[in-house]
This record gives sequence, C-alpha cells and structure tokens, in this order.
Amino acid sequence: MSLRLQIILLVILFCILIGIVIQIKHRKLDLKYTLSWFVLIVALIILTCFPKLLIVIADFLGITTPINMIFFCGFCFSLVIIYTLTVAISKMSDNIRSLTQKIALLEKGEKNHE
Amino acid sequence: MKKLIIIPAYNESECIERTIKDIQKCAQGFDYVIINDCSTDHTKEICEKNGFHLINLPINLGIGGAVQTGYRYAYENGYDIAVQFDGDGQHDAAFLIQMADTLQKEKADMLIGSRFIEKEGFQSSFIRRVGIVYFTRLIKLLTGTTITDPTSGLRMINRSVIKIFANDYPKDYPEPESVVAVLKNKKIVKEMPVVMRERQGGTSSIGSLKSIYYMIKVTLAILVESLRRYR
Repeated sequence: MSLRLQIILLVILFCILIGIVIQIKHRKLDLKYTLSWFVLIVALIILTCFPKLLIVIADFLGITTPINMIFFCGFCFSLVIIYTLTVAISKMSDNIRSLTQKIALLEKGEKNHE
Repeated sequence: MKKLIIIPAYNESECIERTIKDIQKCAQGFDYVIINDCSTDHTKEICEKNGFHLINLPINLGIGGAVQTGYRYAYENGYDIAVQFDGDGQHDAAFLIQMADTLQKEKADMLIGSRFIEKEGFQSSFIRRVGIVYFTRLIKLLTGTTITDPTSGLRMINRSVIKIFANDYPKDYPEPESVVAVLKNKKIVKEMPVVMRERQGGTSSIGSLKSIYYMIKVTLAILVESLRRYR
C-alpha cells in the first residue's frame, strides 16, 4: 500500500467516523445500533495504519493476495451488520404487533364499559 | 410538595413486597409507582394481589424505558420531586426523607445516593469498583464535576430534571450517561452518603460477559453526550 493510498483511506475513514458521531449527536442514529460500524471503522483504521498486519493475517489464513483479504473481511463484516439489523427488525415487528393488539384490546374494553 | 418514588421492576417477585412494605413504613409523604417492565415471573400478580400502585408495560423496554415511563408519569401528574428506587432490595427507604431534605437544602437539581463517600455497607465487587472509578474520572475530565458513584440507581431529581428525563432518557445502562446530560444542562448535581445492601433477589442487568460491551457503550455514550450543546 502506497503512502498516498494510506493517507486517502485514513481521511475517508475519519470523515465517516465524524459523520456517524454527528448523526448520533443530533439523535438521528441510536448509539446501540452504530457500535458495529464503529468497530468496523476502527478495524479498518488499524489495518490502514499497519498494512504489514494485513499481510501477516492474510498469510495466516492462506490468502495469497492481501487485497483479497480486505474484500473478504469487508464482506464478512457487512454480513454481521446486516444480520444484527435483521434481528433488530424482527424484534421491532414483534413489539409493534403486541402494542397494536394491546391498544385494540384496550379500545374494546372501553367500548364495553360505555 | 408532591414526591414520587419510581420503582422499575423486572422479575422482582422475590423482593417487591418487602421493598414496598419498607417504603410504606419509612418514607411517609412519598407516593410510589411500580413500573413492571413486562416481567415473565409473578411480579404483576403479586403487585395486584397486594393492591400496589402499578404501571404494566406491554412490551419489555429495558431499564431506561421503564424508568422514563416513571418520569413521564411524574411530569404529567405534577410531581415536584421524583426518586428512582430499585425493586431488588439494594436500596434502603430510610434514606429517602433525608434525601428530599438535602435536595431542597442544598438547592440541588439532582441528588445521587453514593456508596463511596463514607464507604459503608455493600461496596460492590472489586472489578465493578474499578469500572466506577474509571467513569468518575471520565466525567470529571469532561464536565469538571466529581461524581463518586455515577452508576448509583438511587437518584432524586426536582421538577426541572424530571422534565429533561421525561423528554429524553438513555435506553440501556442509563445512569452515568444521564448524569452527564444533567450536568451539561447546567443543573446542580450533589451527592449524599448512603448505605446499600447486596441485592436480595433477581439478577443484575449487567452480566460478566456483557461488561466489556457495557464499558465501551457507556464510554461512547458519555463522550457523545458531552459533545451535545444545550442552552
């Protein structure tokens, strides 16, 4: 990795990081669901600062070209983030369902009283 | 002067009766409300059998959402003082009247019951104390105020802070983060020495596996909170 690429990558990553923090600050994002993004960005910053680390890990995993490992890791991480989102959505749809039922039952109860 | 005790309860069937009896005996002049956070045990049945004041949440909101429900109730019903009080028997209702006096005398907006001023009673495990000291330092660094027990669940607030919390309260692990929010709103936070017991039933909301997640999440939350601007 050339020094120029390293600097460009670091600038991009820090911009994304600052962008996320500003979004949380303005309460547009919930910190709980952005933690995985933080982990991803911090991991990428570390790998960008120490590209040798990349070669060592790629070698250990038996991947011949380090850049392939970036793609592979990025892919795996995206899957993890998507999975956590799926879990969150499932829980939310469940919650909405039980809330709707609760309100409907309450309304029915009130009508019976009248 | 209307005063409300907010008791968040999630699966506290072993202790809730004792806690309420304790309050009725030691804290005259206070109203109380139990927020049942969709418990899966008999908490609800026990409260109803005894005729306790109870709000049942239809879905589990976690400690933050449960306590905020109490603050909303306090705000809408015109309470001047609200205090959070754990349902698991850790807190001693004997301190509540003294806390209300101190809050008014010291003209504080928020009064935290701290285990670590006189270092009496149950002092929590060593690892947790390390975490608590870390949060104390972090809050001191960011706000300039020393809070010896930022994770304490025994906290009394006046109407101006009830309004803040009713509008906005963190979802999970809310204690340290909300103290920072109050300080950033330029409110006065004071502490008072209290003695706490070891929990008498139920389990802590913070397990050992979750503690690393807890430290990271709360640290980030405090950092973001201190970036927020208030007028």
